[in-house]
Amino acid sequence: MARPRDVPGLDCDERFDLAAGRVIEVRAAELFAHADGVLGVEDIEPLHDMRVAGRRLRAALELFRPCFPKKRYKAAIEPLKALADALGERRDRDVAIAFLEGFEAEAPAGDRGRLEILVARLRDEQAEANRALRSHVGDRNLAALRERFDDLIAAARR
Amino acid sequence: MKAAKVKGLKPAKPLKPNAAKIVAVRLGELRGFAATALQPGATEAQHDMRIAAKRLRYILELTESCFEPAGKPVRHLARELQGILGDLRDAEAMLANATGITSLESLLHTRRELLFARFQELWAEDATAAALAELEDTVA
Repeated sequence: MARPRDVPGLDCDERFDLAAGRVIEVRAAELFAHADGVLGVEDIEPLHDMRVAGRRLRAALELFRPCFPKKRYKAAIEPLKALADALGERRDRDVAIAFLEGFEAEAPAGDRGRLEILVARLRDEQAEANRALRSHVGDRNLAALRERFDDLIAAARR
Repeated sequence: MKAAKVKGLKPAKPLKPNAAKIVAVRLGELRGFAATALQPGATEAQHDMRIAAKRLRYILELTESCFEPAGKPVRHLARELQGILGDLRDAEAMLANATGITSLESLLHTRRELLFARFQELWAEDATAAALAELEDTVA
């Protein structure tokens, strides 16, 4: 799992709203930096890293909520929640498949057929989750999300 | 689980007193779920406690320097709780799909028991109580 980036210059005595702009800028950049490779199913770590970055961003938004105008806050957090849900659906299947594939080798021969059927079903669900995720992580949607966060950051600094 | 609203936050005031109010509320949420979550099979409360631990952890990642030295041990505790309770939830979810696969059911039951025991053990540790109490005093 990716470690959180430091927020340069964050100071406990700094005004809460100015700190908000600084933190959201770093956490949003973290989210977008992890977008590459999330649709791949051979390496499941990029998706996990983007999901964790999204959680951190959401936690920061909740922390600094009073510093933002309501409409702009809502305009940023709603698509973020939708993205988080789509990432979560994929991640649940990734985790289950990885666990079951690890277990298959040591499972008794009599259980292996059923395990293979279960893994195949989960692979189908993983593909379906990926189809739903694709639109959220497309260039156009990510650019629109980035714009909403830029607006939010600007509002906190005013 | 929706986060409890934190009252009295002031955007024009410094980060530290605002963060202290938020951390105090999040600590209260974590403790509030513990009594029920420590009961075997209390999956909803365990899920809520995992979310509370996650919120506390991510807030402390940003603000623990304001609460030194009490912030870091609680961030570590929250991370461990989040991990154990997350693995417990994954095991529960997989059990729902494991019907009829005897070896898998058996493995998942054992895994669930071990994770639950680790959760109880971690919560009962003196170091856990001390870390939580120290941060509660710091943000009070």
